[in-house]
Amino acid sequence: MQRGRIYLDHNATTPLRPEVRAAMAAAPWGNPSSVHAVGRQAREAVERSRREVATFLGCLPEEVIFTSGGTEGDNLAIRGLARGRHVVSSPLEHPAVKGALVGLAVTYLPVGPRGEIAVDDLRAALRPDTALVTLAAANHELGNVYPLEAFAAVAHQAGALFHTDAVQAAGRIPLDLRAVDAATISAHKLHGPPGVGALYLRRGLDIEPLMTGGHQERERRAGTENLPGIVGFGEACRLARIETAADRIGYLRAQLQRRLMDIPGARVHGDPQLPGTLNVGFDGADGQLVMVGLDLEGICVSTGSACTSGSLSPSPVLLALGLTAAAARQAVRFSLGRDTTEEDIDRAAEVTAQVVGRVRAAEAA
Amino acid sequence: MRILVAMSGGVDSSTAAALLHEAGHDVVGVTLKLFNAQGTAASQGGRCCSPRDIEDARATAAAVGFPHYVLDETEAFSRGVIDDFVAEYRAGRTPNPCVRCNERLKFGPLVRFARAIGAATLATGHYARLEGGRLLRAVDREKDQSYFLFGVRPELLAQVRFPLGDLCKDDVRAAARRFHLPNCDKPDSQEICFIPDGDHRAFLEARGGAGRTGPIVDETGAQIGAHLGTHHFTVGQRRGLPAVGDRRFVVRIDPATGTVHTGPREALARQRLKVTDVRWLEAPPADGRVDVQIRHHGAANPAVITCADDGVTAVFDRAIDGGAPGQAAVFFRDEGVVGGGWIAPDSSGCL
Repeated sequence: MQRGRIYLDHNATTPLRPEVRAAMAAAPWGNPSSVHAVGRQAREAVERSRREVATFLGCLPEEVIFTSGGTEGDNLAIRGLARGRHVVSSPLEHPAVKGALVGLAVTYLPVGPRGEIAVDDLRAALRPDTALVTLAAANHELGNVYPLEAFAAVAHQAGALFHTDAVQAAGRIPLDLRAVDAATISAHKLHGPPGVGALYLRRGLDIEPLMTGGHQERERRAGTENLPGIVGFGEACRLARIETAADRIGYLRAQLQRRLMDIPGARVHGDPQLPGTLNVGFDGADGQLVMVGLDLEGICVSTGSACTSGSLSPSPVLLALGLTAAAARQAVRFSLGRDTTEEDIDRAAEVTAQVVGRVRAAEAA
Repeated sequence: MRILVAMSGGVDSSTAAALLHEAGHDVVGVTLKLFNAQGTAASQGGRCCSPRDIEDARATAAAVGFPHYVLDETEAFSRGVIDDFVAEYRAGRTPNPCVRCNERLKFGPLVRFARAIGAATLATGHYARLEGGRLLRAVDREKDQSYFLFGVRPELLAQVRFPLGDLCKDDVRAAARRFHLPNCDKPDSQEICFIPDGDHRAFLEARGGAGRTGPIVDETGAQIGAHLGTHHFTVGQRRGLPAVGDRRFVVRIDPATGTVHTGPREALARQRLKVTDVRWLEAPPADGRVDVQIRHHGAANPAVITCADDGVTAVFDRAIDGGAPGQAAVFFRDEGVVGGGWIAPDSSGCL
């Protein structure tokens, strides 16, 4: 009875592209720090990937620090640039950013009901001792997109650096990092492998490493390089640069949104501009139950950030928008990708309507 | 047929799920996350069907091959069960959190979850039977858990099945081994699930559940000692009393003054018990004849019950060692649970 699985959770992770898998399988082995021929071959593979990532980001290869992924990138940027001083952030940030801020003096910016962050509020929050502003390029739960250039300009006026978690934005919308001092990206959100990512760090900036004990990454990230991961990451960035599915994904998202809003009592959370993201709530239908109901019909979605799913604490992002805890628990996040088809959207919309009806009946009983 | 199986991570509910899966049902497993414990090995157990270990449940579901989810009821459990447990002790009573959990917490969200995913029924690993709408004792009397289930609302019980009710513990262990379940040799634990180390006093004291300190008195009212809080005591208990003369037992606890009244074993004897907040699964029998069970592993004693506005009075054929206020008293007729309630504080004194 169950048809093929429909994956609508691309903000959690994306499927590895066959080209990436092939590139990883063909990657050489060796320790890039070794002086001999095997090492040189490995070094060349790492540097080739670094050039791909740099080209994709529009930066210099030396501005790319390979990491183990988004969480490490956020931690390295925030701890390494703030160095114990004051930081400005928002309550909408990913847990990786929140975690990295623990122990620092942080001012959290106010947030509008649709997830807006005002540049004037940022200006007002900056202090003479503010070292860093960290705000996501695109929100992981809502799909809101933020004006990095304007944020960065205000931060710089006050003498602070500007870091952005661009994990959800990279490969999905054009990313202009010229004004930005540091940016985190992750390979597995753009059809690369998990366990690898990069921190863009503007040339000339000094950063305190999280991991020490080796000379890798210009003393900024010790540890033998994850060679197959880095090679796959480079290939994923190359593919993301030369082709984009954003228009098609945006069209499908609009279709899904239209269909879901036909369900009585449905609403959109936030102001999604990221092409594939749609966070919705259905009155009287617990989001976790809807998610499970969809899963049992072969449709994979999430209730929020994968990092916080499994616990019933309502999403802090939605609470920051002013939703009640009960309304926040109704949230379901659909996130589309380049493999999503029109048929997927038809079926997802149809099944969601059924599942929501069933969950509402169960909750009303 | 889709069946939702509540899985604690213990061998019983895991086997129930595996048996239903083997019988060809579309099994979906769910584990309630009830409190934030630091997960350890086998000892995270409970007398009833506590969340021993979410990971064990997940591993069983993966090994057998059906989907498994975790339902977070931490908040509701904290409010409905743990807070009640603490408040009862503070009031000098002896609560039964497993009954409370079944009554207030477990079955409501699980049945709702079952309905929400289109499951025809909810199965649990309890040892009890449901036949023709009656809640009956399990075939395996040693494992029988019907005592714990009297508080479940009848309309919820109507959605439930207990696949282990006809089996013996040995059958269940054998089936678990046949299925190669990861937890087939996990020991049973007797501890309350949210106090895995068994240290009730420390748990209560950390949560404001400590009772008053006060005197320990004998049957004449003469003080024979002092104590560090009424929550150290339960009616019927011997431990922690001063060794003076004959064997002494706690007979009554007065939470207002902190007085612990003691006496010889005979002083525990009760001909009647007052039971309040009674739930009926069946109409009370016209002749009032039931067997009253006041402990999970205790005997069921023949009695005649009479109902009044403020509760039920049970008059026993032969005097019993009276239960502690706050404990559940469950009325059985033949094999079936008729109803049950909570032993009232004013039971003491009715000799």
